[in-house]
Amino acid sequence: MPGELIDRIVDYASGISRFSDARFMAINSKGVAYRNGEFEGMESSSTSGYAIRLVNNSMGFVYTDSEDWQTVREKIDLLLPATKRIGKNRISETDPVKDSWKVDQKKKIEDISVEERIEIARRSDKLLESLGVAVRMNYVGDKKVVQSYRNSDGCSIDAEISRVSYYYVFGVFDGSQFEQSTGQFGASSGYEYLDSLDLEERLRSEVKAMKENLSAPALKPGTYDLVIGPEISGIVAHESCGHPTEYDRIIGREGALAGESFLTGKQFPYRIGSEAVSVIDDPTFNMSYGHYKYDDEGVKARKRYLYRKGFTDEFILNRESAAMLGVEPNGGGRSSSWNMEPLARMSTTYIEPGEYELEELFEEIRSGVYMKSFTEWNIDDIRFNEKYVGKESYLIENGEVRGRIRRPTLETNTVKFYSSIDAVAKDLDFFAGNCGKGEPMQGVDVWMGGPHARLRNMYLK
Amino acid sequence: METVDRIYDKLSRMGMDEIVINGVSSDVEQLRFSQNSKDLLNQWYENEYSVFAARGKRIAEITLKSDAEIESRLDELRNMIEKIPENPSFFGINPKKETYGHVESGSIVDTDIQGLCESAINGSLEAGSKRSAGLAYLVRYTHILKTSYNEAQYTGGGTELVIRSFSGETSGQESVHYGPSFRPGSIDAESVGRAAGEMAVSGNNLSTGEEGKFTILMSPYLIGNIISSSSEFLSYYSVDSGMSCFAGKIGYKVSSESLNLVDDPLDMSGVGYRPFDEEGTPTRKNVFIENGILKRYMQSYSTGKKSGTESTGNAGIISPGAWQMRIEPGNRSFRDILSEIKDGLFINNAWYTRFQDYRNGIFSTVPRDGVFRIKNGEIAGSVSGIRISDSVTNVLKNVVEMSKEMKNTKWWEEIQPSMMPYVLVKDVNISRSF
Repeated sequence: MPGELIDRIVDYASGISRFSDARFMAINSKGVAYRNGEFEGMESSSTSGYAIRLVNNSMGFVYTDSEDWQTVREKIDLLLPATKRIGKNRISETDPVKDSWKVDQKKKIEDISVEERIEIARRSDKLLESLGVAVRMNYVGDKKVVQSYRNSDGCSIDAEISRVSYYYVFGVFDGSQFEQSTGQFGASSGYEYLDSLDLEERLRSEVKAMKENLSAPALKPGTYDLVIGPEISGIVAHESCGHPTEYDRIIGREGALAGESFLTGKQFPYRIGSEAVSVIDDPTFNMSYGHYKYDDEGVKARKRYLYRKGFTDEFILNRESAAMLGVEPNGGGRSSSWNMEPLARMSTTYIEPGEYELEELFEEIRSGVYMKSFTEWNIDDIRFNEKYVGKESYLIENGEVRGRIRRPTLETNTVKFYSSIDAVAKDLDFFAGNCGKGEPMQGVDVWMGGPHARLRNMYLK
Repeated sequence: METVDRIYDKLSRMGMDEIVINGVSSDVEQLRFSQNSKDLLNQWYENEYSVFAARGKRIAEITLKSDAEIESRLDELRNMIEKIPENPSFFGINPKKETYGHVESGSIVDTDIQGLCESAINGSLEAGSKRSAGLAYLVRYTHILKTSYNEAQYTGGGTELVIRSFSGETSGQESVHYGPSFRPGSIDAESVGRAAGEMAVSGNNLSTGEEGKFTILMSPYLIGNIISSSSEFLSYYSVDSGMSCFAGKIGYKVSSESLNLVDDPLDMSGVGYRPFDEEGTPTRKNVFIENGILKRYMQSYSTGKKSGTESTGNAGIISPGAWQMRIEPGNRSFRDILSEIKDGLFINNAWYTRFQDYRNGIFSTVPRDGVFRIKNGEIAGSVSGIRISDSVTNVLKNVVEMSKEMKNTKWWEEIQPSMMPYVLVKDVNISRSF
């Protein structure tokens, strides 16, 4: 049976190393797609194997999909000499936990038929077609992960994780003018999550916005008060708070790839913004696309304030980066598959809701912009210099939301952004994403979100 | 090969009309380093079989890893095929009987990966950098293909080396790859590290950049990033989907006349080498842009049939893609081109390229790892905080010339295996943060 070697692996590895752990993952995922009225096909992938870590004078991982003990032992033995050579070897050990957990499902992934998956994608395609959308792609996917973690300290965690997702991209034309929209929704759940989304209303609203964008005027560049929607709160929380507080980036381990952090070399706590701003990462958030009870290194997950009232607070830590900082890990070690190393990763990252009613954010604005959602975005590798282009956006005049504007652009920096926030609303919404990091690239499932928030005196183009 | 045959036989007995099996067995070693010392050694031993099957126009794809999964996984595939609708855009897989070359990768796995990384770090330190991060890969794999019409196999592999060096607030990066024609010992890792270090220490007089239109000398990494990010627009799949800035432009001018863009998977100097595509069509060098004119799109057999042309050997059966892009070199040296820039920029690398408009190719990307203001042919200082905010079509049309020097470029998810020269582009829009 796949995975049954895990205890034997740790028994053996613990005899030849200072610290060892093993993670087995079996991942089954399915997806269907409709493109421009045509069924594209169906895919089903199945992968499983072991990630085995040895820590001696340095660290090494061996990843093998073999279920033959002799073969697995041979691969461990091949790794061993390399871990005797000098290198970094600090790893944070924790009190061992024995537990098992699983994601609750009402409409279980394993009970959903091929036809039901297809119907969700087909229905969205048909709806978009009926709304006059010429370019459209709809994708429905799910995955079931069966996972076990053991380490030489006696930790033993077993888990079953179920996740469903829906993704669309569509485009509308007017001559050479084109407006595109992408959206992703996902949860740690069964298919009941997709039933709860009201996809029809979301798609109708999005198509209306994109069509009206085609003839909307550009924004006159200048300084405006800015109200951002939860989608922008989410991407900002993820990009300019979550990433720069991943401690492996701060210590340079991702330097050649995803980059470092503007927090490298700073004294902590470091002021990043106004007192109105707190940002949280919470893997325990129920149903989040990034939800988990224990991370992929057997550490219990918990809520973490990354920024608290305008200052840095905690960092996201896996076992390795926690050891570099000299503290306990806080459940941030995540890995996208059995054949990937666990890195310090986000799960459910959001700006903490404030005390304001939504309408209060607009009331005091004489000349402003309401940027509800975004299209193109990017940020530099230290997570400081960032850009967000508005997708659904409006002018604000004398406290009232007025006509649409097309693709207003905010290019700013992290400290300027968070320092300009003077009011945060009570609402809260989340969006799914796949966060990329590591080499080979690992995309892990995350939620990002937040409330509406108001920023004063931002230069917009 | 036995597993592939078993999969094939069972699918045949199930009555599938067309079958494609791609089986890859790989041994990969990776060493990661940062702060000038080793972080971690990763070793992978994997087998994976990707199975595509069609019954008429009903198509499905699964993956599996071992003989033990064949029965259950192929039963699932049959269940899928029996229940799904037809794909009207599927017109079959390559039915022609083909012949292929056979390539051995040599003794790549015997290379001392730690020595490779140490040489790169030392080269960078000697150039004056303070610290470096990076990684090296040694890859060896066997790819077995069996379709309803063809069988093929080759053993490939290669080496990759990435090093990013830092000096104060500035950085430099080199990211190279070596395919099956390279041999252990021929890789000068110290020079790769030295180049990254020299770039890092060249950054001085750091200042915030200005907005406006600039002449930019783009390094092989920057142009490699832009071409990698936009190569899917050359796929007929994107054109057919309505999401390509090259739609309807075959035979028309899409770049300056000086630009020639090819895909050359048969260039064994790079890790993008492969002798056949995912449905068994032999790969070949394809010219996509010739003297500024768009010549063709990337095609599989099926997309070729749909569009009234032929496969270019770029399958993905449903979505064709690039293997190893190359911009052909020019006649003058990088130094000569640089020396003639009166007022412009030299940018070594970029990342986070994102599009707000696929149809018009509008994107922005963030320069990094060596961003310099050039005045009167000389470096006048380093620049920070800027962004290239333009469109693919504008960049290609404003290409002035290419250098005669070429680099094998590949980096993370940002730059696919490619061979690129330095490229001089005029009137590139630069934006910055406020």
